[in-house]
Formats: sequence, structure tokens, C-alpha cells
Amino acid sequence: MTVSRREFLKLGATAASVMALPRPLLVSLGGAREPIPPIDDPHLKALALRAVEAATWAGAAYADVRLTHTRSRGFQPDYTSDVESMVVGVRALVQGYWGFASGPVWSLDEMARLGHEAVHQARTNALGKTRVVDLAPRPVVADGHWVMPVKADAFDVSPFEVFDHLLGLQIYAYRTQGVRVIRNECGFKVQDKAFAASDGSYCTQRLYLGWGDFTVKLKKNGQETGGAVDLLTPAGVGWELYRDQPIREAIRELIAGLEEDLSLPVKPVDVGRYDTVLDPLSMAALLDTTIGRATELDRALGYEANAGGTSYLNVPLDMLGTYHTGAPLLTVTGNRSEPGAAATVQWDDEGVVPNHQVTLVRDGVLTDFQTTRESAGWLKDYYAKSGEPFRSHGCANADSAINAPMQHTPNLVLAPGRGAHDFDDLVAGLATGIALEEATLDVDYQALNGMVRGKFYEVKKGKRVARIANAGILFRTPELWKALTALGGAASVRRYGMGASKGEPEQATYHSVTVVPAAFKQVTLIDPLRKA
Amino acid sequence: MSRHLDRLVRLDDSHRILSREECDAIAKRVFSFAQGGGETRVKISSWWQGELRWARNRVSLAGDRRDIKVSITRGQPFSGQLGTASTNQLDGVSLESAVRAAERSRALADYNPPPPPFAPPFPPPKRPASKIWSDATYGLTTEARGEVVRGILAPAEARGMLSAGYIEVRAATFAELSSAAQAGEAAEWETPYIAWTQAQCSMAVRDPLGTGSGWAGISSFDWGKIDPEVLAARALEKCVASRNPVGLEPGRYTVVLEPQAVADIVAAIPGTIGRRSNESGIGPFALAMDDALHLWRTKLGLKVVDERVTISHDYADPGIGIVPPIDAMPDPIAWIDHGVLKAMPYDRSYALRSLNEPMGVRSATGYRMSGGETTVEEMIRMTKRGLLVTRFSNVELLDARSLLLGGLTRDGLWLIESGKITKPVKNFRFTESPLFVLNSLDELGPPMKVFHATSSGGALSPVVVPPLKARDFSFTSLVDAV
Repeated sequence: MTVSRREFLKLGATAASVMALPRPLLVSLGGAREPIPPIDDPHLKALALRAVEAATWAGAAYADVRLTHTRSRGFQPDYTSDVESMVVGVRALVQGYWGFASGPVWSLDEMARLGHEAVHQARTNALGKTRVVDLAPRPVVADGHWVMPVKADAFDVSPFEVFDHLLGLQIYAYRTQGVRVIRNECGFKVQDKAFAASDGSYCTQRLYLGWGDFTVKLKKNGQETGGAVDLLTPAGVGWELYRDQPIREAIRELIAGLEEDLSLPVKPVDVGRYDTVLDPLSMAALLDTTIGRATELDRALGYEANAGGTSYLNVPLDMLGTYHTGAPLLTVTGNRSEPGAAATVQWDDEGVVPNHQVTLVRDGVLTDFQTTRESAGWLKDYYAKSGEPFRSHGCANADSAINAPMQHTPNLVLAPGRGAHDFDDLVAGLATGIALEEATLDVDYQALNGMVRGKFYEVKKGKRVARIANAGILFRTPELWKALTALGGAASVRRYGMGASKGEPEQATYHSVTVVPAAFKQVTLIDPLRKA
Repeated sequence: MSRHLDRLVRLDDSHRILSREECDAIAKRVFSFAQGGGETRVKISSWWQGELRWARNRVSLAGDRRDIKVSITRGQPFSGQLGTASTNQLDGVSLESAVRAAERSRALADYNPPPPPFAPPFPPPKRPASKIWSDATYGLTTEARGEVVRGILAPAEARGMLSAGYIEVRAATFAELSSAAQAGEAAEWETPYIAWTQAQCSMAVRDPLGTGSGWAGISSFDWGKIDPEVLAARALEKCVASRNPVGLEPGRYTVVLEPQAVADIVAAIPGTIGRRSNESGIGPFALAMDDALHLWRTKLGLKVVDERVTISHDYADPGIGIVPPIDAMPDPIAWIDHGVLKAMPYDRSYALRSLNEPMGVRSATGYRMSGGETTVEEMIRMTKRGLLVTRFSNVELLDARSLLLGGLTRDGLWLIESGKITKPVKNFRFTESPLFVLNSLDELGPPMKVFHATSSGGALSPVVVPPLKARDFSFTSLVDAV
């Protein structure tokens, strides 16, 4: 039996029973040539609804389905790769238990099989003790279609042009003596996604992601240092990531900064407590791995205990509205609607329109968590008490339909300070202290204790006077955020794309973190290479 | 409810992965689309997973997932000019467009100066196939998984503790086929079709107040070798015993490391034992620069750890079966033999081009570390003052030359005084090198299989390590997270 992969294009002609399908994986081998349908093809809706109907018919109280068609293209100087993947995943809720089934075949029969399988998965566990799922309400989406606005779809650009562009950057960097280009690569992804749910919702969207890496090393007078262009972190963009950004200027500034670095003397770590200024990239990493992780509600309640860990914000209902997460300067919001950000969508993976911003921390006080439709239900009492609407913050996400959606970090935003300071101003304000750039962080499984590494500078009278070799900062998250003394102003705002993974099996997603540089008082500087 | 039950129609689902014949048919079709000569290499993989995740003593998600990947490379064998395209769709248009994309990638590679033509004086080798298949794993049904988890959750719930964990059973296939090899020409590789299984079970049990946490887990290709009830009991016992820990001063402690903790730090050795990096002076096994050769001499042939330590691999040992098989002869190998560095991995391309050898030395993605006779209980009894470590977390390389690692203890740390466990201890950050630990050994115990999460690529790289007792382990700061 040969069945074409795009059999839904001749919908109605096939009426094969589910039982007759011999080998779901192989259904399309040898199939005829047919184009991939556009995501808003009405036949796709029939496929999606078939899955949901099958699950409902088999006994699901609620079911939803995602179909994703993902293309990605990666470029390295001597290697390119193209990846295409079409998958479908069905999720079913039976008596408070979730089941999930996914696979690579887009056919009506397979939709029915997956719908049944998801119910079977759920029902098998519903034999155990009762579990209550109170899905936060959301309006039904009736035939919504959305395309993320990008300026240039990277898949419309000739790969040869992309290659030329990368080579041009490389040649540009090599004009400076002593420069070595360590990495010069980029990748683009476009994902078409259709979603349907048993409440009648149906929507499709096209999402873009682009990222790059231009990393150089500079060797001069026997010394070496390195760094990366920071304009290329993952974002919801197309080819304009390179085309419309001043990458050459950024390379020039990067190399000038490295030359300045090498002109500074190197000092060993003088362990102690110092007032410290963090650059925006360091702030993005800090915010993401501390408050970003700790305000994931599923983590806080132990759903990730056997994987990435839990949260120091571990009694959400007692802490909300009262717990001091940091200094009064600190306000952190989350969203999935910011144009061009990496976690931006029109609908999340549960059909929620995340068009509101969630305030996670307001003036230093914990006010909310990242939620999905299910996890918002765990805070229902708090929302009722505080007069907030009972709704999901739209954090349901998965990198493709092969994975079950779960709560992932939305775009995070640190509110800027009222003044007009930028990083250099904050450094200039230090009589004596430390400046930190390009931090990488390691925080524990409750996002409570962490160690920071990065490029450390000694600052005297507002000027960098030395590089500090092999330094680190040791911190406790609440104390560090309470030691926040100043934030950069609106003009110093920067946005970076971050990856995050969680879950079992592990899933990775991207989000953006918008930050400003900041100053902290009396931070603990250590030598991370020193043994006890 | 029963009305709905009647409606549940399930397929005969006994074929969830590709067969050898199916892979051959796919490859044949891919080869037929190639244009303009040259070699077409296709890697075909398929996988299925049955999954069950739970938290707060309830199943949070049960799943059944599967996928395919056909990855196509077009180009000249041994040219180094490669382009790859992959798809998970098997119809003609998808496969053909992937072949075209691979050819376009190949054309992009022409931007770089071509390497000198090269044909090895050795016949195309076949990678060794392993027999790592368990019907107990492939046959663990959704119902059986649910039953297992109900058995795991009951004791934790009865004690008022919260269990979170994960069970996964997986079957996968891989084949790498070359159009050149099939035409009898020189080819870089063929990997015969292999099918294998993997299973894992792990859980963290916490007390509701968040003052204690215990963990247990194990992975094996064979579900039959995993005893979930034993794991559940161990995680629960560790949780209860770890509640309300006291803070100790950081410093150097004698440690008894359970096998999982040993695996967590010894894992840094396989990644840094490679010949190329050490000959570039980057790794911990570089010795000194040889000014005449302009190469770093390595510690090959020198004693690098305690003579009781051997780190080895044998394809005939399914307990440490690795898949997909890597660039290597199938012979048994010991990278570290009785403390002496005996083999440093390098790939086949380095072997062919630089050493005129047909094969590289395989890397230690799966290994067995030798042990001794002393059990963990005996090690505790022999310890005057020390710490018992369940496992490490957040382990990262701080310095490649000394193999200095940073990381945290997790899910159970206890003080041992005068041969007895006396109290639970708050977690520590450590700063230590596994080479230092393996040179400060007091005792080694019977080696055992440890937990190894499925990597995203689905590779299987199991390790068997012993528990050990070592002196002067460096704990550098207190971590009050649980």
C-alpha cells in the first residue's frame, strides 16, 4: 500500500479504517511527489480536528493537538546543514491525568491513532489516586492565523549570499593583526504550527528564530583574550539579523575593546567584598538563571525536582505579595508578545493569547509566577484574593510537536532605572570596586546559591585599572538582589536571547531577556580555582 | 466511563522502529535521487520512547513518542567537503529535496580550498555491531509502566513525602549506508543496521517542608536489570535521613563516594583524554612541550592515577554497550590500565592522514572502571571522620590542565563519625580534580551500573564504576539549597 504523505490534499477520498494501517512510520515511503501545503491550508484543520475528535471520542475530557513543520538551516565556514521535520503531538486529559502521543506522520489515520494513544496513556494512570486539573479559562480561538513579522525570511535568501556575508565578516576581522576568528556561524529556523483543541479552538502561526556567533581571539605581545559580538543572540528574526544590524561596527568595537583589555595589567584575585557593576550581558545571565528560574511555578512546586531542581521560592501561596525578592529598585516582568523576541508568539501551545505582561516582581516583592493553564489553577486562591484575573500567563511551549508542551520561560524584562546611567556611568561612579562583563553563571538546583565567572576588572576612581585573572563571584540570590543599588536608565536597555532546558525528556526553548547594567554593593569576590 | 472505554481503538503497535530491510529500501531510494556522481551517504535512524513522569506523588504525564531521521551527505569520499541535509519524511519529494539540499551544501563547500586528493590504502571498514537489545525494555507496556509507578509512589505517600521521577523505555535503530561502498568503491564508513534498547528509572523524594531530599536512579539497556522498588526505597530512605541538615565548615574531608558520585566526576576524564587536544597542550594528559617536534609530549605510558584503577571497554560486554558504535576497532581497550595511561583516543581521519594507520582509537563514551571488595557500609565503618556523598550536580570544568572541576553535592550528604553516619549535612560546593581523587584512594568497592540520562541524540554511553573512599576532598563553600 502506498499512501502519499500529503494525503490530506485529497481529503475525503480516503476512508481507511484505523485498524488497517500496517506501519505508521512507513506510510509514505515511495509516495508520490507533492508540495508541502501552506500552514493555512484548510485541509490542515481537518487533520488537526481528526486528532482532537479521536481523543474526545475515546474519552478525553479535554484534548489538544499541535502539528509543526520546522525547517532549519545552519551555516559554518566549511559546513552547512538543512533539517526538515514534520511532526504531530496529541495531548489528552482523562480524570486529571495527562497522556501524550507524537510521531512524524501527517495522515488522517495517524491523527486518529495518536488521539487514541494519548487517551490510553492518560487513562492508564487515571487508575491511580485522584488528581484535579483546573484549567484556567481562555477564550476560544476561532480560526486564527498569524505570521511573525520579519523583514527577510532567511529561507528566501540564497545560502550562497549568506555564505558570502559570513566570509565578508571574517575578512573584515582579519584586517586587524593578531585576530583569529574562532567561530563564524549562524542558524535560522522557521516553524509552521497548527493548534486545535477540543473546545473548538483552531489557530496556525509561523514563527521565526535566528541566531549567530562571531567569536574572535586577539593575540598581542604574548597575551591572548577573546570575545563575541553580542548582537547575534537568538531572536525572533529572519535574515535581517545580519543584513540590518551594524555587525562590522560591532566587530570593530569588539576588537578595540579586546585591545584595550590587553593594555591593562593582569592582577591575581584579592579575595574580599567589593561594590560591583555588571554589564547588560552579565545582567541577562544573572536575571535568567536566578529570578527567571525561581519563578517557574512548576519548579517551585516540585515538578522538576528530579531534573533541573526546585526553587527557593518554594511556598508560592505564602510568599506571593509579601516575599522580598530584592531591593525596591527591582521590578521584573514576563511576556510573550514583544516584537522580535525569541519567545514571542501569537498563541502559546495551549491557544492562550499571551497579550498581557505578567509582573513577577514589583518593587522588590514577589507578585506572580510563570504559568500555564494548568499551573495557573494552583494559584487560583491567590488570584481571587488579590483581585487578579484567573488566567494562564501563556508559558506553555515546546520546541516542536514531538514534545509535550510544558511551562517554559517567557521573555523576561528588567525594568530600567529612573536615571540616565549606562554601564560606563555606573563604572565611573565606583570609587573602588569591580566591573564585570560577559558573565556565565552556575546556580544550584533551587536557584539559591550561585557562582559567576566572566571578565573581571579592578576599578579605581571610576576607571578600569587592571584585569583580574580567574576571579569569581559567590552569591546567594536573595542577598544579591537586595544588594542592588543602581540600575542603568532607559537608554542603556539591551536585549539578549537565551536558551533554557528542562523536563524529562529534556526540552530546550529560547526566550529573550531585556536588561540594563546594574550596580551591587559588597559582592563576594573569590578565586574559583582555589581548593579548600 | 465504560462507554468510553469501549471506544478506545488501539493499533497493533509491535513495529515501532525501522527494520533493516526498510532502511535498505530508504537508502536505495535516496541513492537514486543523487545527481552528478560522487558518494551519497545516508544515516537512517528511528526511535520510540515510552515515558512516564510523576511529581508530588501523582503521574504528571505519560507519553508514547517516535520519530525518524534520514540524514544525507553528498560529496567525494575523503574530501572533507561535505554538506548534510536531513528530513523525517520518507516520501519521494521530501527525500529528493533533501538530496538536492545536500548537493547545494556540497557546492557551498567549494568556497574553501579543496584538500589534496586522498584515498586510503585500507579497505572501507565496517563499524562493529553490538547486541544491546532487551525484549523486557521494548515490551514494557503503558499499563506495566503505570503499575510500576503506583508501586513507587505508595511508600513515599505513606510516609508523607513527595516523590518526583521519570521512567523511560526506548528502542532505536541506526544504519549508515554509502552508495560508494555498495558499488564496491572506496568509502569512509558503513555502519551495519543496529537496533538497541535503553531504559532508565530515577526519582527524587523530598519532604514537604523542603528540608530533605533523597535520590536514586539507574539506567540499563535491559529493564529487567532495573528494580524500581529498590530505587524507591533508597530515595525515600535518603530523603528521610537527610532532613534538617546541619552546616559544616568547608574544608578538606575524607569522602565516601557512592558510585553515582564517582561517575559524576570521573566523567570528566573521557572528554579530556583525546590525543589531539593533549598534543596541543590543552588537556590534563599533556606533559611538556617538545621543542624539537613542536608538539606536546603526553603522559602516555606514565602512571596517572592509583594502580588499582583501570578504565576500559569491551564491545562484548552488553552492560556497557555503546551505540552508535564509534570510530574504532572492536577489540577490547583499556585507556587507563592499572593506573597507567595506555591509550589516547583519536579519530580515523587523524589515523589515516597523520599516522598512516587504518583506524583511530575509540573514545571512552562508555566504560567500566575497576573496583575492589570494600562495600560502602564497610567504608563508612572504616571512617573516623568524613562525608558520605550520594551524587554531585552542576559539575563543570574549571581548568582543563589540572582537570579541576567545580560542582555541588545533591540529594543526600552525611557526616560520618567513628564509623557511623551521625547527621545529615548541608550541601557543599566543591573544587576538586578527579585525578587528585583517584590518586588519594583509600578503598574501592564493587563496580556497578549507574544512572545515565538519555542524551538528546539518543546515544547510549553507559558506565560502570565502583564506590570509593578518598582523602582530602576539597569542599570550598556551603550551599544551603536542598
